[in-house]
Amino acid sequence: MTVVKAVTCPVCGCLCDDIELTVRNGRIIKVKNGCAMCEAKFLSHASDHRPTKSMIRREGKLVEVSLEEAVRKAAEILVDASYPVLYGWSSTSCEATKVGIELCEEIGGVIDNTAVVCHGPSILAVQQVGIPSCTLGQVRHRADLIIYWGCDPWSAHPRHIERYTAFSEGRFEKSAWRTYINKVKALVGSKKIESAIRRLAIKSWEPAVARVEKSPSQYLSREGRKLIVVDVRRTKTAEMADYFIQVEPGKDYELFKAMRALIRDQEIEVDRVAGVPVEYLEDVVDVMVSCDFGAIFFGLGLTMGSAKLKNIEEAIRLTRDLNMRTKFIIMPMRGHFNVAGANIVSTWETGYPFAVDFSLGYPRYNPGETSVVDILLRKESDAALVIASDPVSNFPHKASEHLVQKPLIVIDAHMNVTASMADVFIPAAMVGIEAEGTAYRMDHVPIPLKKVVDPPEGVFSDEEILRLILSEVRKIKKERMEAG
Amino acid sequence: MMIVLTPIREFKVPIFAECISPEVFEGKNIVQIGQLPVYEGNREKKLQELFKIEEAKTAEGVAEPAITIQGDVSKLKYIGAGMTKGEIVINGSVGMYLGEEMKGGKITVYGNAGGWAGSAMKGGTIEIHGDAGDYLAAPYRGSTQGMSGGKIIVYGNAGVDAGAYMRKGIIKVHGNAGQFVGVGMHDGVIYVKGNCDGRAGSCMTGGTIVISGFIESILPTFTFEGLKKKVKIEESEVVEVPLYLFIGDLTENGKGKLYVSKANNPQLYYYERFL
Repeated sequence: MTVVKAVTCPVCGCLCDDIELTVRNGRIIKVKNGCAMCEAKFLSHASDHRPTKSMIRREGKLVEVSLEEAVRKAAEILVDASYPVLYGWSSTSCEATKVGIELCEEIGGVIDNTAVVCHGPSILAVQQVGIPSCTLGQVRHRADLIIYWGCDPWSAHPRHIERYTAFSEGRFEKSAWRTYINKVKALVGSKKIESAIRRLAIKSWEPAVARVEKSPSQYLSREGRKLIVVDVRRTKTAEMADYFIQVEPGKDYELFKAMRALIRDQEIEVDRVAGVPVEYLEDVVDVMVSCDFGAIFFGLGLTMGSAKLKNIEEAIRLTRDLNMRTKFIIMPMRGHFNVAGANIVSTWETGYPFAVDFSLGYPRYNPGETSVVDILLRKESDAALVIASDPVSNFPHKASEHLVQKPLIVIDAHMNVTASMADVFIPAAMVGIEAEGTAYRMDHVPIPLKKVVDPPEGVFSDEEILRLILSEVRKIKKERMEAG
Repeated sequence: MMIVLTPIREFKVPIFAECISPEVFEGKNIVQIGQLPVYEGNREKKLQELFKIEEAKTAEGVAEPAITIQGDVSKLKYIGAGMTKGEIVINGSVGMYLGEEMKGGKITVYGNAGGWAGSAMKGGTIEIHGDAGDYLAAPYRGSTQGMSGGKIIVYGNAGVDAGAYMRKGIIKVHGNAGQFVGVGMHDGVIYVKGNCDGRAGSCMTGGTIVISGFIESILPTFTFEGLKKKVKIEESEVVEVPLYLFIGDLTENGKGKLYVSKANNPQLYYYERFL
């Protein structure tokens, strides 16, 4: 039995690198320091349902074949296609993405990563207006005001608050953990009273209007680190915040606009913006302006809201305006553990972070035109390679329909929904558990992923499989060239 | 000389057809035009492999080169990109970047147009008799150099971000427009005869937007300026109905004018208390 220390967790964009794993007979049996998602992923490597053989669809059924045969079939599909798409990349290593881009250039396809359905709008906004940001270490040690906007880290990035923001013990800022405990105690008491009153009172229907707590000054006047949450509903993170702003769904943009006007001492001619009284907003803006170091973290609540990239543009402009008065930074809460890495590798290889079209021989980029979801919805692609992702379970139905109608190659460690509809399936080793690699944290800091156990026999890493396909593609192209 | 192009088959993958432009065709015979390169996905093809190319007689005295496309070309991108003269008529729907950065001439579409029609155009006229896609006349991602001249008329609806970062010229939408009409515009005129999805004129620093239909709300960073009786769109067109005038966008120190019909927006009556 061995204990491996300082392992990086390959789940979310936090990339916690303090995980301790206990390994016995080539199996991970215990996970320490990780969150529930981390534990589930590390223990899943030895799942009984894990596929270990390559498969090809024959007469409607997936049948087991040798790796060489599967690689040959995959390469043939890619060479024959005139507009193939290569999608996924966010849950694999930077090294694999690099080979993927080489493969895409060779076959003249479109390469896109999962940013297209999560923080793609953030990237577009950054290209339009720039971004003032920093590393999470800076936030941990210096930030005295944390704002989570349209995200719920308690559920999606469980250790973000504890490791990097409000509850972390920084060099210059103390943890706000104790305040939270007191708040929870008070909250439990008040909830009991509330439910008792509700049981006694006549059931009256409350209209679903934006609910804002009383004037923020009483909540935000205390010393020390403060946490503000802006969301459309009271999430778990909102429960622990010092102040929660419940914004009307789809109205974040107006709220940003109003805040910017207030920071610039301009008058607003309406009484409420996005369901929030303007005088409350004035108090919140006062707190923002008077902090020493503020940090805004935003999630898909903003990027997938009705204003999409414009929400993020406005959030960044708000940060820019705040920097005229104090120090403020903004950072997207990246989801998959290496989605930032996929963007970075794509940028240094092609110049563009996602949705790169190689069909003309050189990279072109214009999300909306070259993004995979739009290509699939317009039914333009004629083959696809999906790696380390499960688009069928989360793409729009029409897009998934077109994806599975055309030849589909899937490289994944698990038999997910997309893999079960593939024409060629190649099982892969799990990066960060059975294969080494590099991943980028949400603040663009590269962190090495460790190999802790060996992959099942005959299973290779994503990078090795892609290299095999790439060399096979080159071989086929050479054969065809010689044959004229 | 007029060239008539008819698609031979239905197109599935996107086609890059920058060569379909009056200047490129000028001075070439049908055989030479047929040899022009186009990309169908990642395959290089000749124009004659995709289209039946014919020459039609034009009326006497018409010297300008002209192209007519008969059929659906919604997979074709960059038709008429950068053109400076001549005319293109498309009897069917057309794909993205129609007349991208065009400087002169005229394009008429009797169907719908894809996204980025008239992207960053500098002159000339585009008439779309169906609907226009998103980003009408908008520049590429990351750029703030939008349309700087010319005229676009859409008889159907327009998508989001119509006239983004516009610097000069006129856009008229006879139907409805999506949200963010004239986002970041500096100058020029946008006239929406139908309804607008909202957030019109966000981040505008100058120029004029006129909305004759319904718009749910005005952004909080616009200030109410008063009630106007009429507004001039161009020399030959004046809208003569009572209109609310808003000035913005304050957060960009903007002086843009946003006119909104009074009759169709009773919910904005609230602002009249400032009169």
